[in-house]
Amino acid sequence: MKESMPSALAFILLFLNISLLNGQSPPGKPEIYKCRSPDKETFTCWWNPGTDGGLPTNYSLTYSKEGEKTTHECPDYETSGPNSCFFSKQYTSIWKIYVITVIATNQMGSSASDPLYVDVTYIVEPEPPRNLTLEVKQLKDKKTYLWIKWSPPTITDVKTGWFTMEYEIRLKSEEADEWEVHFTGQQTHFKVFDLYPGQKYIVQTRCKPDHGYWSRWGQENSIEIPNDFTLKNTTMWIIVAVLSAVICLIMVWAVALKGYSMMTCIFPPVPGPKIKGFDTHLLEKGKSEELLTALGCQDFPPTSDSEDLLVEFLEVDDNEDVQLMPSHSKEYPGQGVKPTHLDPDNDSGHGSYDSHSLLSEKCEEPQVYPPAFHIPEILEKPENPEANIPPTQDARSSTPYFHADVSKWSTWPLLPSQHMTRSPYHSIADVCKLAGGPVDTLASFLDKAGKNVLKFSKTLETEEEKVAEQEKKKSFHSETKQNTSWPLLQKNAPIVYAKPPDYVEIHKVNKDGVLSLFPKQKENDQVEKPGVPETSKEYTKVSGVMDDNILVLVPDSRAENTALFAESAKKVPPSLEQNQSAKDLASFAATSNNCRLQLGRLDYLDPTCFTHSFH
Amino acid sequence: MNSHGSDRKAGTLLLLVVSNLLFCRNVHPLPICPGGNCQMPLQELFDRVIMLSHYVYLLSADMFIELDKQYAQDHEFIAKAISDCPTSSLATPEGKEEAQQVPPEVLLNLILSLVHSWNDPLFQLVTEVDGIHEASDAIISRAKEIGEQNKRLLEGIEKILGQAYPAAKGNEFYSVWSQFPSLQGVDEESRDLAIYNKIRCLRRDSHKVDNYLKLLRCRIVHNNNC
Repeated sequence: MKESMPSALAFILLFLNISLLNGQSPPGKPEIYKCRSPDKETFTCWWNPGTDGGLPTNYSLTYSKEGEKTTHECPDYETSGPNSCFFSKQYTSIWKIYVITVIATNQMGSSASDPLYVDVTYIVEPEPPRNLTLEVKQLKDKKTYLWIKWSPPTITDVKTGWFTMEYEIRLKSEEADEWEVHFTGQQTHFKVFDLYPGQKYIVQTRCKPDHGYWSRWGQENSIEIPNDFTLKNTTMWIIVAVLSAVICLIMVWAVALKGYSMMTCIFPPVPGPKIKGFDTHLLEKGKSEELLTALGCQDFPPTSDSEDLLVEFLEVDDNEDVQLMPSHSKEYPGQGVKPTHLDPDNDSGHGSYDSHSLLSEKCEEPQVYPPAFHIPEILEKPENPEANIPPTQDARSSTPYFHADVSKWSTWPLLPSQHMTRSPYHSIADVCKLAGGPVDTLASFLDKAGKNVLKFSKTLETEEEKVAEQEKKKSFHSETKQNTSWPLLQKNAPIVYAKPPDYVEIHKVNKDGVLSLFPKQKENDQVEKPGVPETSKEYTKVSGVMDDNILVLVPDSRAENTALFAESAKKVPPSLEQNQSAKDLASFAATSNNCRLQLGRLDYLDPTCFTHSFH
Repeated sequence: MNSHGSDRKAGTLLLLVVSNLLFCRNVHPLPICPGGNCQMPLQELFDRVIMLSHYVYLLSADMFIELDKQYAQDHEFIAKAISDCPTSSLATPEGKEEAQQVPPEVLLNLILSLVHSWNDPLFQLVTEVDGIHEASDAIISRAKEIGEQNKRLLEGIEKILGQAYPAAKGNEFYSVWSQFPSLQGVDEESRDLAIYNKIRCLRRDSHKVDNYLKLLRCRIVHNNNC
């Protein structure tokens, strides 16, 4: 027996040696090294296989749950890769301890690993966050920052509160070595300030459940911080400044070129004060006749047969307020007879003296005309600095009278007594006095100049015309009272007045500045002179213009009378009848039916009133 | 002069007062309690309670880790130690789906019972552990802290119940902590095993409480859209 023991032993040793030499042995002990649950609803365990002993080895995982006696095998060896076991939802219970063991089996034998006590609750390790987005943003004060956003991993249930995640980010610039880590709590966004512009930054995130392990770092994302935003703004501002400078230069240049015209366009010159109907230029020139014409004193001095003229043209009542026939200076320009030197605003210079009826007194032969003064002239006359103008002088060379020395007026020779006695002369002065202070000198002037007017007109007209005129005047005068004032004229005038404003066509303006008018139309005309031959061409000379668009014309033997326009075309008193004698010039106080007109500071009486009374 | 000055001052003061009154007429003092109801909003309550529960969990987890260091390699010990937790008699939901199917007020009452049932064992633990283990100090301090926080936790949960589900208040499930006999006079190993199990169960129950509360918060306050 002793001999068999050592032989048995030898055989065993031999057998072992042989097996060892073959390299086959039972498998080594496997080891479960990791079990993880990504969502607290499933989990996976991985093991390390031990040595396989040179033989193909089978691994099996067995587990048992806390409180259960039975042992189960791994339901899924594939899903999680080799040497793993995946427990799906139905096999996973939390708040229970799993006892897991892996057994390696091969031909030679098997070996089992140490059991692992696992509670799924505490082995949670989620996937990293996803959808990492990077954006460079700006605050209102131009501060730039990096805006990082991400989402929790897909499989974790954060919405119901089953999972509560906490996050962490880390970033570094490309060149840097170390990461800058920031814990962000449970929020899924983060702002990073004070990054270097122009550099590229890399960002990563990871997450961790409230009771669990940190996930691995997620996908890298990088972004380049642009250079200052303000640079772009600066460029824009430079462009804006340059453009506005160019525009300013263009505007300045344009203004420089056309500055004056623009200024006048923007700021029109302020008109100076003027007496309506009064042309200061006339005064300067010292032409009495023109001035008087401008004032409305027609036919001053009366050219011939002053009495007749006087009667025809003017009746001034001593007692009553004198009616002035305001003439409408506008008619002058309207008729196109505007003198060349006309002021831009003629009208303002014309006052109430612009009444040719006033001036159309019959005057004595004018002896001297201190101021040159063309009766038939229209209101505005060309300037003529001459103080004295011989009767034959062109009326255009009238000068504004008011500049003339008052003494001049006074030196004007008085008209012959016959004229003087004639009330109109006096009345004119009276009228002028009534009208106002500045009129005083004018009044005296008018007084004296009345004759001159008449005379002058007379001289200007052709002799025959004048004669006829005088005749007419005489006849007219004979019919009328001496003391009739302008209303007398008005009386004649009514004939013309009987209808709304009459218009007479201007035939022409001669070189003297005399306005020659066509006679009035027959059908409308009430002023027609009986027996006056109708000719196609008839001329009337305008002796003056009154304020309200009334032209006072020199009576023409052949021509019709007057173009008289009533500015406001008041109805002519129907009582005005055609009067033969009214062919002569008449002026209308057309602006109102009131007996009294107030124009400026002068009182005017509506001749129509007097007409009535006269009749 | 002085009287005049003082008069002016008085007048200015009066003017200021009157203007203040006029200006302040339309100023309504900010109410301490919005809507006149001096109650903390539910979200705020939940947030506070969850902070407490989380803290308690962290404490118990630390406690376990400390203890586990000693027995990590001793699988047999662990195998022997694991036994039923006493609170397993409480029918707590064992998964997400189960928890979501339980009505909120029932779950809240369960939580109340769970927390409540740990008061005595915690007290016991403090006396049992003292001087026994190496990590006894760490364990004892944490055990005491958990005991403190649990009281606050109970108050908070009761408040939530009273505010959100006042009808369900008082329906606590009372569990009997019968399985933890006094460890006096027990051999060391048994005592250690018992302590290990206790701490393991404590960690689990505090985690349950925390998770249930978080589920409830997202369900009640945020409508399952946390």
